[in-house]
Amino acid sequence: MTRNVVVTGMGVVAPNGASVPEFWDGLIAGRSAIIKREYTADRFSLTVPVAPVDGLEERIKGLGVQMMRADRFSQMAVMAAEEAIGQSGLEFDEALGARTACIIGTGIGGQTTFDDSYVAMLCRERRPHPLTILKVIPNAPASQLSIRHGIRGPAFAVSSACATGAHAIGVCADLIRAGSADVGLAGASEAILAYGALESWRAMHILADETCRPFSKNRNGLVIGEGAGVLVLEEEERAKARGADILCRIAGFGMNADGKDMINPAVEGAAGAMSLALDKAAVKDASKVYINAHGTGTLLNDPTETKAIRSVFGADADALSVSSTKSMHGHLLGAAGGVENIAAILALRNGIVPPTVNYDEPDPDCDLNYTPNNAEERDIDVALSNSFAFGGLNAVVAFEKV
Amino acid sequence: MADFEASLLEIIKEHAVGLTGELTRDTQIADLGIDSFSVVEIIYEVEEKLGVEVPFNANENPFGEMNSVGDLIDALDKLIKK
Repeated sequence: MTRNVVVTGMGVVAPNGASVPEFWDGLIAGRSAIIKREYTADRFSLTVPVAPVDGLEERIKGLGVQMMRADRFSQMAVMAAEEAIGQSGLEFDEALGARTACIIGTGIGGQTTFDDSYVAMLCRERRPHPLTILKVIPNAPASQLSIRHGIRGPAFAVSSACATGAHAIGVCADLIRAGSADVGLAGASEAILAYGALESWRAMHILADETCRPFSKNRNGLVIGEGAGVLVLEEEERAKARGADILCRIAGFGMNADGKDMINPAVEGAAGAMSLALDKAAVKDASKVYINAHGTGTLLNDPTETKAIRSVFGADADALSVSSTKSMHGHLLGAAGGVENIAAILALRNGIVPPTVNYDEPDPDCDLNYTPNNAEERDIDVALSNSFAFGGLNAVVAFEKV
Repeated sequence: MADFEASLLEIIKEHAVGLTGELTRDTQIADLGIDSFSVVEIIYEVEEKLGVEVPFNANENPFGEMNSVGDLIDALDKLIKK
């Protein structure tokens, strides 16, 4: 018997909204959280546009002593997971804990802890804090959540740069389909807003100088954001049997690799992942499809992604609704997929497509309907979330109504 | 030993999130609300603040048999003098 996977909870900590209701309000209002901020380390400093999540101090304290000593990426993952678990109504007893998976990814891990540690060692001749390793390991959020809730099924971190969150959700759904678990916490978290990390991104000459302008002719780079997005996934019959409020079904998941280049994305890889995700989704009318694009706002990604979408949908591509919400919450790197999958689900459920803000000027190489600057009402049957990573790793998740 | 003990009590107190009353040698370790994280942090702070080295292996759980804070202080004292 085929096991289907549904979403029964969502939690998000994003720069433009640190809970699902605030995030959605921010998205449909076109509220951008991108600002210029200075980051320092000892005698060094830089100022770049970023999308930070501010004002979390009290909520971090509320997570308890164990989490106060964790790295920020773990703290945000746990906050998002708690919101998702709360919405799902699940309580993890002995039996459920044994049948629950916890797949929380990150692109980098505890970067701010590493940065602080190096500054202490190299600039102040202090030895590192003894918990440094436990804070920076990429599996810290998965482990923390497992300990908090007694989750004892498959638990690990995935890492595929900007596709991490989508891989985590897709792989977790596959585990449930295969019968390795009945329930899963799946998502990703990233918090690298620190001097050393940002200087490394700047060295790559890929950061925008002012803001993120996906698909707009005057786009000139990405803006690094931070945050986390976590879903509660559940085998459909189980969710129905307990009377859960089912938010949507995972219609498909596609993952592949370009096998070509560390930086340049390939049309075939991106198109292939989308086709795999759409394989089982019944797309009857392209005008009822929303694609939450990877849409980084870099010179290379946006036209490549546009060509990939055209190659999958052919003549129907013009009927699609596409947008890049990175224009508002920035690029959350590993957590991008986590947060953007939630944006896609919210669009599907609410019948509203969030906009691509900062869209100033059409680009002949980017010629789809990107929902420029204002949200649009649209009856949606299928929502797709595209994630394409440096190194040519692609992951696409498709959602449909139940 | 008196100074050492006072400093140790001070460090332990900072991590004793579960402590309700006064911290003395007779306080039970179980009442401190400390976990494996805290033990590693306490050892680190002892080394930093008192300028000593504690030959402690986090995998060996050498404090497993102890009940009171006094036991802990004596064990630390012994480790440092090793």
